[in-house]
Formats: sequence, structure tokens, C-alpha cells
Amino acid sequence: MISATLLGQSVLSGFFAGCLYALLGLGLTLTWRYLKVINLAHFAFVLIAAYLTFQLVGKNGLNPLLVAVILIPVFFLAGVAQQALIEHYKVNEFASIILTFGFAMIAEAGLQWIWSADYQKLEAHYMRGSLQVAGLFLPISDIVMSLVAISLCVMVWAAMRYTWLGKALRASLDNPGIAAAFGVPNRKLSYLVAGASGASTAIGGIFVALLSTLAPSQIFSWLGVVFAAALLGGLGSPIGILAAGILLGVSEHVTMAITAPSWAPVVPFTLLMVILLLWPERI
Amino acid sequence: MLKIENLHVGYGDATALSDVSLHLDKGELACMIGPNGAGKTTLVNAIARLLPIRSGSIAIEGRDVSRLTPQELCDYGVAIIPEGRRLFTSMTVEENLEIGCYRPAARGLKQQSLARIYEMFPVLGERRWQLAGTLSGGQQQMVAIGRALMAQPKLLLIDEPSLGLAPVIIKQVFETISAIHASGVSILLIEQNASKALAVAQRAYVLDCGSIIAQGTPQELRQRSEIDAAYFGAGN
Amino acid sequence: MGAQTARLRRDWSPYAIAIAFIGFALLPAFKPPAFVESFLYLLFFWIALATSWAIFSGFTGYVSFGHGAFYGAGVYTLANVASHYSFWWGLIAAGLVSATLGVAIAAIVFRTRLRGELFALLTLALAIVLATIILNTPVDGGPGLYLIGVSLPNFYGSPASTLYLLIMCVGMMSLATAWFVQQSKLGRGLFAISDDEDVAEILGVPTYAYKLIACGISSALAGIAGGIHAVFVNYVTVSGTFNLEVPLFVLLMSVLGGARSWIGPAIGAVFITLLNNLFVSGDYALLIRIGIGLTLVLTTLYMPEGIVGLFHTSWRRKALPLTGSQTPSGHADAPLAASIAPARQYQPTGETLVRLEDISLAFKGVRALDGVNMEVRKGEILGLVGPNGSGKSTLINVMSGFYKPDGGRIFLSGENITALSGHLVARNGIARTFQIPRPFGRMSVLDNVIVAAMFGSEQLPERAARERAMHYLGFVGLDTRAHALPSDLNLHQRKFLELARALASGAKLVMLDEVLAGLTPSEITSAIAMVRRIHSADTTIVFVEHNMRAVMELTHRLVVINQGKVIAEGDPRKVMQDAAVVAAYLGTSDAED
Repeated sequence: MISATLLGQSVLSGFFAGCLYALLGLGLTLTWRYLKVINLAHFAFVLIAAYLTFQLVGKNGLNPLLVAVILIPVFFLAGVAQQALIEHYKVNEFASIILTFGFAMIAEAGLQWIWSADYQKLEAHYMRGSLQVAGLFLPISDIVMSLVAISLCVMVWAAMRYTWLGKALRASLDNPGIAAAFGVPNRKLSYLVAGASGASTAIGGIFVALLSTLAPSQIFSWLGVVFAAALLGGLGSPIGILAAGILLGVSEHVTMAITAPSWAPVVPFTLLMVILLLWPERI
Repeated sequence: MLKIENLHVGYGDATALSDVSLHLDKGELACMIGPNGAGKTTLVNAIARLLPIRSGSIAIEGRDVSRLTPQELCDYGVAIIPEGRRLFTSMTVEENLEIGCYRPAARGLKQQSLARIYEMFPVLGERRWQLAGTLSGGQQQMVAIGRALMAQPKLLLIDEPSLGLAPVIIKQVFETISAIHASGVSILLIEQNASKALAVAQRAYVLDCGSIIAQGTPQELRQRSEIDAAYFGAGN
Repeated sequence: MGAQTARLRRDWSPYAIAIAFIGFALLPAFKPPAFVESFLYLLFFWIALATSWAIFSGFTGYVSFGHGAFYGAGVYTLANVASHYSFWWGLIAAGLVSATLGVAIAAIVFRTRLRGELFALLTLALAIVLATIILNTPVDGGPGLYLIGVSLPNFYGSPASTLYLLIMCVGMMSLATAWFVQQSKLGRGLFAISDDEDVAEILGVPTYAYKLIACGISSALAGIAGGIHAVFVNYVTVSGTFNLEVPLFVLLMSVLGGARSWIGPAIGAVFITLLNNLFVSGDYALLIRIGIGLTLVLTTLYMPEGIVGLFHTSWRRKALPLTGSQTPSGHADAPLAASIAPARQYQPTGETLVRLEDISLAFKGVRALDGVNMEVRKGEILGLVGPNGSGKSTLINVMSGFYKPDGGRIFLSGENITALSGHLVARNGIARTFQIPRPFGRMSVLDNVIVAAMFGSEQLPERAARERAMHYLGFVGLDTRAHALPSDLNLHQRKFLELARALASGAKLVMLDEVLAGLTPSEITSAIAMVRRIHSADTTIVFVEHNMRAVMELTHRLVVINQGKVIAEGDPRKVMQDAAVVAAYLGTSDAED
């Protein structure tokens, strides 16, 4: 039997991992639902942002906040540009997987070219140290990341529910023609979503750089679990992906603590399969 | 208010409307009747700019709108109550109404408009937080009417409002249409239910196989045999 | 043009496969340099995997990321079995285990109607779970397995040549299987599933069984390839076996080459394997990956049908110049001339063909059908009319097995067919057309009709089906467009294609769902004449229509539906005088007036 402390610590680290999944998956779930684009390049964007942070903060000594101010608009535009390409060539939902996988491969090779395939870690003095509460360690960097992830998810949820833009977006998903007849600018909204998704990868990338070691191959290592979170939470639901991300993260880390780290993937993916088979219409 | 000249519309290779001309005076209620498949809904969608047209012109208050996007047309004060309601089913009743006043000119009047709709249809006020997709057919039709009124329209396009509704609800819907008309809105009413439509309209057109085959006042049209022919086939 | 040219062109593909096989089998005798042999090994390894993937995913359109799992199951089965028994037993077991896994998964997954992209994700999850289980059980044990003590058969005196020869056989076997499947009835069914699964089922394709069979063949071949590769690498690990390389590369190769063709994935495999192995040093390897990424991007944007698709379209353009001068009404006139004899029209006997008892069906609480009782009599033309949204199309959907009713029973010639799935209803002789034509978009007009003839009530073999199809294409005036794609037809012609499909199935009961909607008055006249010609003692027709002129001219009896209920039934003229019917249509004499 494992100790209560170990269990508590693994629930906690699962929670933090889940928040990171939500942060990385928020844009993915929105573009999938609202733009019908299954964007594998999303993770490439995240990693490019992470390496840029690694370079600018680690090597050039810039403040991460300043880096955020630079990267967010740049990645917003990158998201818009990709969406413009997809709309211009009328790429369908399935072909979008292949197209964006192509982008991801190019990005991976490019990253490897510039920064090598080795694991690298950003050495900087931001968000070091950790709090200790009731015998549990809470790294400050994880706390900050989780707060950002949670507040982003909640903000997006609120925006979808309470703002004109959010309502217009939902209306245009339900019935684009009629929405347009009442003045909803469908196309502009789709660029806005793509851009916001791009901007979220910049935020995700900065945290990935600050929290973990980097390797170009990580582009594909998040894919499975973040997709699972997006589907479990219900496509397009910001609160859903937060809850599902945390559920997956906690179940992974608790499985690791109880059995062995190598068993970790079983729980989330079995969960995903069961949900797909039992309630396919829910997704 | 609305003037259509020599309008041609087609889907792919098929011609849906050929050489349709009609006009609607300010404050008038005109109806367009005809059998299923005659092209009535195509006409509404073409006017609302949801379908591209092949040739001809559509003018609203003298300005040509036939090449505008639906969004641009919206600023001319045109609102639509589409066939089959076509609500935003995963949104609440109130959100549906709010989208109705999305265009900036109508947005400022949101609170008054909402109050007016809820007064007109108290049941919508009671169910304002309910998802529109879970309402009954009659209530959905009320939301569709309310959504269009939220846009503060000068011209209202109403497509088959009686479709799939029980007779008592249909009666209520037509009373509402008369009331909207009385408040000064110009209306083009598309309807399969000829007698109901003729009872409220001031001018009527009959559409069959994509062309207008008869027009005049309701009294004139009631006497003519083309309507019977269009519905029941010649020789009946 | 016509029936003569529609006969099969001679297909040299099996001979080409046989000659290539012999050539590649003799190759080691000429002692090629080692790098050639190892390159060819990899080439055939990827040809085997990509081609086997396409037999299921390419042909049906259900993209699977689970191919890595089937391949990996083969790798680990051989690694475990061969050390205890022999290489050959290991290889057989690898094929069997993978096939069983493939069929079992397909059997579970396709119980639910999963959308394509969700199926892809499910298979991805499956591969990850399988890998985790293998990693943590004695199948792998954690550090991986060495294949020592596995004795290979000996060809050409060298293990390298032997392995090359083995994988070459699997590659060629995959190609031959893919070719065979593509030509066979199975292949036609799979392509139909890929274009429109619902319509395939309604035309008689046993979609569930076919998906299982294709998945079984596909995974068996992957498992055998995996088994040989286990010996090739000699040391198998979970991370080396179950990574994303296999599922992504087979997808990439198939998309690049053309996943709907038996040879396409192999072309893609040659292309990618060449690119991957031309340069091996570090910097070039990166360039190659960028090149592959770019290839994917450009393929998606500019040639969605792959390399084979390019050839295909140019062949189609050359072989079949579009005859622009033919007008649709010109076709429709031909059958009209032969049909000016309404007096010959068959008079029904009154015997019951189909009986509906208390059929009801609700969608999300809305009652679309509310206790419908009616019968269709043998040899009659029954008109089914009612206002928009009254439930006519829903009724057609229930009778063709497309929807299952919530309550009530359907009898065909006295047999209860309520619970039969769509393809069995079709085999029992009920066919339908769709209001908005739903042709198989990537099949020629002729192939569309052949599917109906092969899977319909008579289950015709290929040659007879082809003749039957040409006959009915001639009947509806589409024989000159037999090799066109449905997208080249206009609406009128697509409606007649629907009709040809329904007729070619050899159905006893043909249900026509608004065939006249959207047609011009002259087209309507010719269509009415055609319905009259279809009708005979053996072909009963249910005619759903809004055009009352056509209904009055054609039908023996009329059933009027409103709000999901039958409100009148009987002689057309009498029914149309009925007050309730007039009310439903014109709205006069409503109760409250």
C-alpha cells in the first residue's frame, strides 16, 4: 500500500499535468469544433514557442513576460495564416489531419536543425522554488501555470457564453446561413478563433519551456493524451477540457504511483475507448 | 420597398426560378403561394442573399442588393423567418433572440425589444433559459418570429410559417403576422396554406414550377382556376 | 459507346505481379551488393504494410492509426512463439493473432456508428493501450526480447537473402490481395461504403460483415510482415515497435500514392523509402524529413487523390471526351417514344405485397410517424402524398430498413421484415431512390448501377450485373454517359441514375421519393412516361410526389399522410375530394373556421 503523502503528491502532480493538458488542448478543441480543423500542427506551434522562449529567455536573458508580449501576437497571426490557407484550399476535416501533420513534421525537423535533437532545459531564475503545504510540495512554476490555464479556460467559457462574439460564434456553428442573415460575420469569427488558438500555443509554449525539458520529438508525445482530453471533455468545451485534462492527469499519476510508471497510459486511453464506444453521439 | 425584376436562380444544372418579377409597396403584406417544389423557398433564400442568383435584380428601397452578402443585406433592415424555423438549437431562447439584434443598429434596443417579445409571447419569457431545440414546434416558431423582430426590420421575409404546426397554433401565428404588419413592417409571406395567406395579404402571387403564373388581389385570385390547377393538376 | 465497350478491358496487373515476383525472387542468385538487398528489404516491408493498410482503410475510407498495433501484435507473437516452436509456426501465429485482433476490434467498434475521425482516434488509443499492456506483461517483460535460437529457413545460403525473400513474398502477396479485393465483389462493396455507407447498405451491401472481412485481411498481412521484421531486427522493444512511425508512414504512403488503388500505396512506399534512404547522414536526413512534410502538405492541397489519381484523371479525360452536345432532354425523349401505350398498363390484382401495422417513429420527442397502417398491393402504383414534413420520406426510410420503427410491424409477402437490417431488406426485393440523389461520387455511372445489380435481390455475378446495368442505363437514357462520374451529370440525369440503380437491383417494390422535384415540365412528362414503363406485374411502385398532375395520371391508389398519420386512402380522384385532404393542402375548412 502506498502512503497518504505519496498518494496526495501524485494527485497533486496529476492535477498540474492536467492543467497543462488543458492549456495545450484549449485551442485544439475550439478549432476542431468551430472550424472543423483537426490541427496536429498545434503542438508544433507550442514547441516552436517553447524553443523561442528557451532562446530568448535562456540565452538572450529577456524577461518571460516580455517574451509573451512578443510571441502572442506573432502566433496569433500564424494561426490566422494557417486558417487562411485551409479555407483557400477548402481542406476538409480529414485532410486537415494530413496537412497539419505535414506542418508538424517540417517544424520538428526545423527545430532539430536549429537546436539539435538533444534534451535541453531552460536555466533561468524565474518561478523557482516551491511551497510546502501539509507535507506536499507545490512548485511555484506549476502553480502559476495552473492558474493561467484555469483562468484561460474560464475566460473562454465566459466569453462564449456572455459576449456578443461568443454568442455569434455559437450561432454560426449551429446555422451559419441564418446567422449571416442576422449580421454575424462568419469568416471573421473563424479567423478570430484560429488566431486565438495560435495565441494560446504561445502561452502554452512559454510554460512548457519554463517547466520541462525540451526535445523536438515532444511535438508528437502530447498528441494522444491531449486529444483524449479534448474528446472526453466534449469538443469545443473549455471547461470540459479542463475537467477532462485534470481527470486524465490525476488518473495517470495515481496509476503510476500505485503500479509502475510504465502503466500510466492505460487508464486515460481505456477511458477514451470506453467513452467512444458507449457514447459516440456525445462527442 | 422591394422590387424584383427578371430573377433567375438555379442549383447546379437545374433551374429553380425563371424570370420572376414582383414588387412590394412600403407597409404592404404580399403573399406568395404555390405548391411544394414550386420554388418559393428558393425565392426567399435568393432575396435574403443565402443563394447566388444567375441574373436579374433585387432592389430594396430603390437600391440594388442582388450582389450583397447576407450580412450586408442585414443592414438594409431585412429580416427572415426561415422555413422550418432554423433556430440556433443549442442556444437558449434568449440567446436566439439576442442574435436577432446582432446588427449594430438594432443592438442598442436590445432591452426594449426583448421586453416587447416577451410581452407578445409570454411563454418565451417563462422559458428564456431553455435550449431552443427543446421547445415545441409552435414555441420554436415564436422564437423564430421574435428573433426576426429583434432586428427591427423594415422588410420581413416569412417562409412557410404554418409548416408542421397544429391548426390552433397556425391561427395564432397568422394573428401575430397581422399584428406585425399593422405595426408598419412590410412583409413578404410565403405560404403553402393558400386560404390562410390570402386572408391576410393585400397582394398575392402564385408561383409554380419556378415562374409566377398569376398575381392580383386575393379577391381576384380566389376566383381564378390557376390556383386549383397548380395544386390539384389540370382536369380536376 | 454502349454495351460493347462497357465490357471489361483486359487487365494485365496479375501478370505484372507474377513477373515482378519471379524477377525479385531470382535476384539474390545474382549476388547483388548487400546495400541493395537491405534497401529492397525495407522497400517490400513498407509495401506490405502500406498496401495492407489500404485494403481496409484506403478502400473503406475509415482511416486507422491501429495498423501499428496489428503490426506490433505480429512482431511480438513471432518473438514469443518462434523461440518455443519454429519460425513457420511463429509466422502463422503472427498472422492469426493479428487477424483475430483486427476482426474483434472491428466487430466491437462498428457496433456503434462512429464518425471517421473518431474511429481514427479510437484506433490510436487502442495501439497505445496494447503497447502498454505488452510492455508490462511477460509478453515483453520490460527490457525487450532477443530472438536468439530462432532458426530461419535457408534460401540462397544467407540469412539476409532469406529475409529479403520472405518479406518480398509478403509484399507481393499484399499487392496481389489488394488487386484481387479491388476487382472482387468485396472491393465494390468497400468502395461503396467509402462513398456513402448508408446508401451502400440500402442497396444490399452487407456493410458490417464487409468491414470485418477487410479489417481481418488487412491486419493479418500486417501481422505477417511484423513477424518477419521481428527476425530482421533480432531484438524487439515496445518503444521500437509501437511508435508512431508505422501508422503515420503507411498513411503518408497511401495518401501520396493514392489510397483507393491497389498499386497506389506501393508507389507511395517506393517514393518515401527512396527519399528516406538516399541520404543517410544527419543533415540530409533532416532535409528529407522536411521534404516528406512538404510532400504531405502539397499532396493534400494539390492532389487529394494521390499520384495514381493524377494518372486516373488524365486517363479518364483522354479516353472519354465529354460529349457536350447532348442535352438532357434528348436522352429523356428516347424512352418516351417507346412508351405511348398506356393501355398496356398492368392492372393490379389486389394481392397484398407489403403491409404496415401501426408503425410509429419519433425523433427527439417529435412524432414523425404516428400509428401508420397501410398496405401496398402487388403490381400497383401507389401514390403517397401529403404536405411538407408530413412523414412521407420518413415512411420510405422505415420501409427500406433505413430507420427502425419504434413500434409496429412491416410484412413483405407475409414475412415480418421489421427487424431486418437495410441490406437484407434490399435482398428481399425492396429498392428506393433518394429525393436528393446520392450516387457513389467516386464511381462511374456504370459502376454505380453494377453495385445495385450485384448486391440486389438477385445477387448477380459481375458479368451479368454489368449487362443488367447497361440495360437499365439504356432504359433511362444514360448509356452514353456510362463512364462519366456522377458529378458530370445534371440533376435530371442524377435522378435517373437513382432510378437505374433501383431497377437494376431487381426489386419487387420500387419506392420513388420525389423523382420529379426540380425537373422542368417537359422533363416531368418524360419521367412520367418512364415510371409507366417500369411498372409491370412484377414491379410494384410506391410513388411519393408533390406534383399532383403526375400523381393523378399515374397512380391506382392514393394514401394521404398528414402529421405522421394516414388521413385518407383509396381511389385517387375520390381521395382528392376528401375534405380532410383539401384542408391539409389548402388549409380551407379547418375545424376552427
